[in-house]
Amino acid sequence: MNELALIIEDDEDLASIFAEALRGIGYEVELVADGRVAQERLKNGVPPFLILLDMHLPHVSGGDLLTNIIKKDERLSNTMVIITTADARMGDTYGEMVDFVMIKPISFVQLRDLTARLKPKE
Amino acid sequence: MKYLNTILTVPTIDPDDARRRRLLNILLLGTLLAALIGLASIVINSIINLNLSQSDTQVLLVGITVFTLGIFGIYQVNRRLSGRWAALLFLLLLTVIFIFTDSPEELVRGRSLFLFTIPIAIASLILAPLASFLFAAISSAIIAWLAISIGLSVNVFVIIGFFILALVSWLSARSLEAALKELRAINTDLDRVVAERTQALAESLDRERIEAGRNRAILNSIADGVIVFDRNWNATLANPAVRSMLDIPIELIIDKNFTELIEHPKLAHKSRGLLYAMMEHDTQPVGFRVEWEGKTISVSAAQVYSRSENIGTVTVFRDFTREAEVERLKSTFVAIVSHELRTPLNAILGYAEMFKESVYGPMNEKQVNMAERIMKNTQRLLGLINDLLDQAQMEAGKLTIQMAPVKPADLLESLHGVMDKTASDKGLRLTSEIDDHLPEAFNGDAARLQQILVNLVNNAVKFTDQGSVHVKLFYPSQYKWGIEVTDTGHGIPESELSYIFDTFRQVEGTATRVHGGFGLGLSIVKQLVSLMSGEIKVQSKLDEGTAFIITLPLVSAEAT
Repeated sequence: MNELALIIEDDEDLASIFAEALRGIGYEVELVADGRVAQERLKNGVPPFLILLDMHLPHVSGGDLLTNIIKKDERLSNTMVIITTADARMGDTYGEMVDFVMIKPISFVQLRDLTARLKPKE
Repeated sequence: MKYLNTILTVPTIDPDDARRRRLLNILLLGTLLAALIGLASIVINSIINLNLSQSDTQVLLVGITVFTLGIFGIYQVNRRLSGRWAALLFLLLLTVIFIFTDSPEELVRGRSLFLFTIPIAIASLILAPLASFLFAAISSAIIAWLAISIGLSVNVFVIIGFFILALVSWLSARSLEAALKELRAINTDLDRVVAERTQALAESLDRERIEAGRNRAILNSIADGVIVFDRNWNATLANPAVRSMLDIPIELIIDKNFTELIEHPKLAHKSRGLLYAMMEHDTQPVGFRVEWEGKTISVSAAQVYSRSENIGTVTVFRDFTREAEVERLKSTFVAIVSHELRTPLNAILGYAEMFKESVYGPMNEKQVNMAERIMKNTQRLLGLINDLLDQAQMEAGKLTIQMAPVKPADLLESLHGVMDKTASDKGLRLTSEIDDHLPEAFNGDAARLQQILVNLVNNAVKFTDQGSVHVKLFYPSQYKWGIEVTDTGHGIPESELSYIFDTFRQVEGTATRVHGGFGLGLSIVKQLVSLMSGEIKVQSKLDEGTAFIITLPLVSAEAT
């Protein structure tokens, strides 16, 4: 069973690039493009192994998802979180709460190599 | 008294003449009084019937009456015709009367001899200085004639005495007149000086009035609001622009303390502290922006000094609403551009990488090369956008330095991560070293330090065709650390050294086309270094290379 990666990203192209990078190294990928949808998904669905979280999202912001859901839900305590944002200040604000902060532009290779390292060794 | 003064004063232009005629009038009045007293004593005498005979009394009465009439006549001459003639007549009358006041013996050598000295003494005062000699001569002639007529010898000593008296009178009258003349000259001079001063004062008042009028016209016509405060911050002057800008009656400004304006409900609460702070500033001209009922108003204040003493403050109010709106739009625009441009560029970069990495099947060498070019150009575009955004933020004063513990080794590691490939692609070596004594960690803004390093190294690579780029982190003193980036490139001509930190500038016009870029890199580096309270210097030799040396304050990581 492959590790599940949840990509929360409202830009279709970036989501597809991130997905391709993660699939390429053996993640199972699930895409969500909306903050509110992501909120429901996190509450009810299977806890993912990794979350790629954009900060600018429609309806519910990445920051709110992080502080109100991800950090509060016991089921998600083992989930790794990577923030993807174009705003370096977001990294300063939320950096302590997550495993990694990636500032856009995010390189395909960089993301692939980083997430490959996070995968448990088989 | 006034009436007496009117009687005594003779209206004439010559001040000496006026003085003499006035003196003559006083003498006339005096002798008239003496005559009247004489008349009264005769009347009393005749009543109590003392030793005077009837005929003596009659003679005396006639004599006094004639004398009184004579005095009136002389007074009229003095007043209407000539002071000199009147004086002459008076003196002659006096002399003639003296002849009849006593027996010839007494007049010549007895008790009444002194009478003749009177006209001699006063002639010099009321007629002319030299007239004393005339009356000395007349008196001498009378004395001599009287002496001879009664068979006595002429008393030469008396005559000599008369002339000595005349000489003394003449000298004193002359010096009196000279002194008066001098006094008059001084007076005239004084009058002239006073007139001149008065004129100058009037002129300077005029000038002041013109200047004040001009200033008032300027104040009334300019669009900026002006309030002038005295040293206690009470408003002494406010122009129409400030009234319409603040939209409050002038009575709420003039003669009121600045604090009343600061506490006005139209002024936003958050702006009050700024204005209170402005009141406390006392040397430098200062400026702030405040919110006043939906308007943004810039307020600046400058102290007014008179002989190095602070006498008040001039405050200028400018409606900044439009500019503030433009600035707000600009910063919104910057934020939008920042997000909206970077996202699609990130997508282009990602797809190009996917090509290069052969995600969807193998690529031939040319295709990989093309993908690399797309990536490189996209990255360049991203770099330019970042530079523009940084520049815009710095201009808006919004770029701030975020201090956190930084490891110098990490800085160099990530620099190599970013720049190694760029350097090696151009056949250059990128080397680095850290001073052994430099602390392992200190406080700094890692992202901005990284930006400085990347900008400098990127620049060095851009302008170096062969050789190397060397980065050194050094430790010049306990409280400082530094970055030195040296290359073996073209070098910068000395004439251009002072411009290289200017915005939108590259050395030589053609270089701009050869190397691309906005010429913002070094300008941003310099601004970042100043924000970090550091210094940047450049040393360069044509065809040998360039060194950029930055020194920054060292803040130990434990300090915060």
